[in-house]
Amino acid sequence: MTEKHFEVIVVGGGHAGTEAALASSRMGCRTLLLTQNIETLGQMSCNPAIGGIGKSHLVKEIDALGGIMARAADEAGIHFRTLNARKGPAVRATRAQADRALYKTAIRNALEEQPNLLIFQQSVDDLLVAGDRIEGVTTQMGLSFYAPTVVLTVGTFLGGVIHVGMEKREGGRAGDAPSNRLAARLRELPFQVGRLKTGTPPRIDGKTIDYSELESQPGDEPRPAMSYLSTGEEHPRQVACHITHTNEKTHDAIRAGLDRSPLFTGEIDGVGPRYCPSIEDKVVRFTDRSSHQIFIEPEGLNTREVYPNGISTSLPYDVQLDLVQSIKGFEQAHITRPGYAIEYDYFEPRDLRTSLETRYLAGLYFAGQINGTTGYEEAAAQGLVAGINAALSVKEEGLWCPDRSQAYIGVLIDDLITLGTKEPYRMFTSRAEYRLVLRQDNADRRLTAIGRKLGLIDNDRWRMFSEKEAGIGALSKEMASRWVQPGDAKFENHLGKPLSREYNLLDLLKRPEVEVESLLSLAGLPDNNAGVSEQVEIDCKYAGYISRQQQEIDRVRSQHGLGIPKDIDYSGVAGLSNEVSQKLHEVRPETIGQAARISGVTPAAVSLLLIYLKKHKASAALKSA
Amino acid sequence: MYEKDTIVALATPLGKGGIGVVRVSGPLVTDIANGMIGGIPEERIATFTSFLDAGGSPVDQGLALLFKSPRSFTGEDVLEIQGHGGPVVMNLIVERVVELGARLARPGEFSERAFLNDKIDLSQAEAIADLIDSASNQAAMSAMRSLRGEFSRKVYHITESLVQLRTYVEAAIDFPEEEIDFLEDPRVNSGLDALIEKISDLKNEATQGALLREGVSIVLAGRPNAGKSSLMNRFTGTDTSIVTEIAGTTRDVIDEHVHLDGVPIRLIDTAGLREGGDPIEIEGVRRAVKEIDQADFVLIVVDLGAHREDLNSHVEQLMYEIPNNAPYLVVLNKSDIWQPTTVDLSCEYVLTSAVTGVGIDVLKGRLKEGIGYTVGGEGTFIARSRHLDALQRGLEALSKGKTAFADSRAGELLAEELRRCQLALGEITGEFTSDDLLGRIFSSFCIGK
Ligand SMILES: Cc1cc2nc3c(=O)[nH]c(=O)nc-3n(C[C@H](O)[C@H](O)[C@H](O)COP(=O)(O)OP(=O)(O)OC[C@H]3O[C@@H](n4cnc5c(N)ncnc54)[C@H](O)[C@@H]3O)c2cc1C
Ligand SMILES: Nc1nc2c(ncn2[C@@H]2O[C@H](COP(=O)(O)OP(=O)(O)OP(=O)(O)O)[C@@H](O)[C@H]2O)c(=O)[nH]1
Ligand SMILES: [Mg+2]
Repeated sequence: MTEKHFEVIVVGGGHAGTEAALASSRMGCRTLLLTQNIETLGQMSCNPAIGGIGKSHLVKEIDALGGIMARAADEAGIHFRTLNARKGPAVRATRAQADRALYKTAIRNALEEQPNLLIFQQSVDDLLVAGDRIEGVTTQMGLSFYAPTVVLTVGTFLGGVIHVGMEKREGGRAGDAPSNRLAARLRELPFQVGRLKTGTPPRIDGKTIDYSELESQPGDEPRPAMSYLSTGEEHPRQVACHITHTNEKTHDAIRAGLDRSPLFTGEIDGVGPRYCPSIEDKVVRFTDRSSHQIFIEPEGLNTREVYPNGISTSLPYDVQLDLVQSIKGFEQAHITRPGYAIEYDYFEPRDLRTSLETRYLAGLYFAGQINGTTGYEEAAAQGLVAGINAALSVKEEGLWCPDRSQAYIGVLIDDLITLGTKEPYRMFTSRAEYRLVLRQDNADRRLTAIGRKLGLIDNDRWRMFSEKEAGIGALSKEMASRWVQPGDAKFENHLGKPLSREYNLLDLLKRPEVEVESLLSLAGLPDNNAGVSEQVEIDCKYAGYISRQQQEIDRVRSQHGLGIPKDIDYSGVAGLSNEVSQKLHEVRPETIGQAARISGVTPAAVSLLLIYLKKHKASAALKSA
Repeated sequence: MYEKDTIVALATPLGKGGIGVVRVSGPLVTDIANGMIGGIPEERIATFTSFLDAGGSPVDQGLALLFKSPRSFTGEDVLEIQGHGGPVVMNLIVERVVELGARLARPGEFSERAFLNDKIDLSQAEAIADLIDSASNQAAMSAMRSLRGEFSRKVYHITESLVQLRTYVEAAIDFPEEEIDFLEDPRVNSGLDALIEKISDLKNEATQGALLREGVSIVLAGRPNAGKSSLMNRFTGTDTSIVTEIAGTTRDVIDEHVHLDGVPIRLIDTAGLREGGDPIEIEGVRRAVKEIDQADFVLIVVDLGAHREDLNSHVEQLMYEIPNNAPYLVVLNKSDIWQPTTVDLSCEYVLTSAVTGVGIDVLKGRLKEGIGYTVGGEGTFIARSRHLDALQRGLEALSKGKTAFADSRAGELLAEELRRCQLALGEITGEFTSDDLLGRIFSSFCIGK
């Protein structure tokens, strides 16, 4: 390799790193992706699934901004389901089981085809720092590469320790080496480091499972898709998942092994996710449950291996075997890879700016698991934002990050940098106060135009998007101008009651029981783009709620958009209590809105800040005049 | 910067005859004028008019004054409504303005807006900051007092039921693959009904009871024979409390509702505090302590005649004995017998004589300030109306949620209204974050892979 100087260097080829590298290179920046092993680009460390509640919202937002995750999931997805299908559109979500190999191939192809992007298999050991700026990185072979911006996305690899029973060894994930040099180097810098923990279940050879008694769960038909570009045609062959359960025998086996559990003997002190407890955790904490559900997920089309979702564990191997074989269908099961827990370093995310640039080293960005999150989608979302901002900073343009009312990505980043996290952070729809506006069906309408301006959206996607937008406008106009008269038997039969007066089609669509397809067919209007008529229907049904949330968004924006100077000295703000000024000092919010979301910062404190800023600004203006 | 919100508050202390000013500021002012007085008054001209309730019938009569932006105190459109129906009616007027789209102003918010809109000189920044700081501290204390006792117990109970309901509904949304469909659970519907009932009950109770009938509670406390009962009788103008020269006359709690220039208060006479005595007196003292504990305001009565030599140490001793979480005022009584030439107490005090009546008006004035019908400051009365306003908004959200759920079984719409309800109740009980909610879900249900 002759080139030594780049505009953006991305370290780590996981879900965060690949999105970051694709985004910055798509925005025209010469980008280098350094990763331990090219074979593991886009590797799913844990379960072979993309999406789910709250997560497919992120995936579709990434897609709307030109990211790769959704398209890779469509190319690799072997089982698709719409979750919450019977609830409203705001909380509907899509999940795909992915063939691991196909997924990796899709990601790797996209990276290889991407202009401006160079991939190099190297582990990074050191960061090159000059004053308070990053200048580049050095790899384990002693090669140095230089760039004004570096995006670090090394996942669970920093000081990674893998636990199986009372045995522990160093590792970044099963089969991969940890990044200990880099971890030590980062600990020398002023970052605040903590430890988190996560776990994974044993994998099982599908040949040894007796499926005859197990409930089968096929994917949905018609098959949902992840990407706005997909038609569902690109999906490979589809397969079913299966469901089984633990039982009292399983729980007995687990209880018998607790004295050798690293979780319960204090070996592990990293904090694990509350919503993704290990099976031993579930059995200990919920003693009244005599059974827990297990989803058996295929790992791929060309392997028999399966992923038993629901029995993540770090119990010793012999206990794992006992507990697995006590489960219906698994009596003869062969474990292909033992389950394990992993502990790793993460960095206090409140030390990040909204651009995901670190406070301590200009030009250095952190994204993914190292910021205290868990999940491929959460990692990819941060990677995208970090990649975008690295590119923006190279181009000397202002930073960009969606706010809480624009995207789940905005909720994710705002939560991280404002509130921090004490456990691995996962997205849930209940974290979004503007849930009715932030839907998976309208991520493109929320973000694609912004992505186009940023340089992330190619012409094909832009044309498709523009056509859809135009279609939505045209259809709602058409429906608003079509009137149905009282006595119109076709409509009254369908509605099951007479019309009291003249209604247009949009008015009728507001009724909870009326569906857009039937309305269009009754009116003799073509319904040639389901994406378009769906948007018209949702806009119409949620209209009241959407406009209320929109008002609230406008109100908050107008009151809270005001920026706070980086160098503000909170001890000089009249009236602020020590406790509040301490909190503000720790988080260093960038706007009044972010300050208001810090717990303990009262409305009165916000008023005091506003007054201070006003006075400050006036006196600064005076000085410069 | 504030163009979106319209705020309202009682702007002046209630003077003689209960005249008070309600001030409204923000973009909705003309709409509110239309709704309140059926028209828009001419700018800067006091117009005599009736103030109407939602049904269009008059609640009070008085003056309305309109100031258009930017020529107003805050720089925004401002409407001032002067009524004389006393605090209860003024409160109805404030409620009506809220109904028309305004929200209750935070302490000091009018001055804050004036400052932010360049209506107050920049050199006043510190003064405004001080005002906001002290007003919001006072409001916080009043809010705590409003929250004592039964009211608080019920609010917390309601919040707890709400959190439980949300736990079900949000779990159904975020964890649909768990084995139970929580939204199908009849508990959601019955929980919703029960919650609506509980909040409306509490609202009604609080509106008719504690707030309007009882008013703010003021306790007379001190040593036996200090003149507590005599002061009580001065206030009520009757001889409700027995007065004798025997120390230990009053042995039970005696309360009486009186109006202080239209402000409803509940005056409470108690047994003089001292050690020992017969079982009746001991019980009397126990009750006195309990009343002091729950008071909105305490008058610490001192017998000047008996403490010529040791006034300072006596007052100190009393302050030490009397739990001081409520605001208080020291009343140096029997000033007709003896008056110190100089008083150097570290606390606020008034000199009175229950026998001659000297100082009683001063005492009343200080009391009114103390319980917060004053500019900028917030007393328990206003704190309680904030709480009622929050309950009202919570209730509205719940009824909307119930309708949405019944119409379309739409869990996400119900969830949205429950969230709004929680936001409203959170103004009383403190914030409950989405992370708190997730915590409740994970500890209630075994969830996750
Ligand atoms: C055991 C286990 C269980 C998990 N369980 C779940 C779960 O149940 N649910 C869930 O949603 N998520 C789970 N996860 C988390 C999920 O895998 C991660 O959230 C996600 O992969 C994080 O993406 P990332 O890009 O931040 O990091 P990773 O995907 O970990 O990628 C890090 C990349 O950096 C590379 N790298 C590391 N160090 C260096 C270096 N010094 N130089 C160059 N390259 C380097 C690695 O090779 C790798 O390619 C689990 C992870 C593990 C390991
Ligand atoms: N000279 C004078 N005497 C007063 C004054 N106030 C009360 N007294 C007299 O003091 C005596 C006690 O008065 P009370 O009002 O009964 O005192 P109290 O504090 O209620 O006493 P207990 O009920 O025993 O705790 C009575 O004889 C009153 O007439 C005053 O201002 N001046
Ligand atoms: Mg008495």
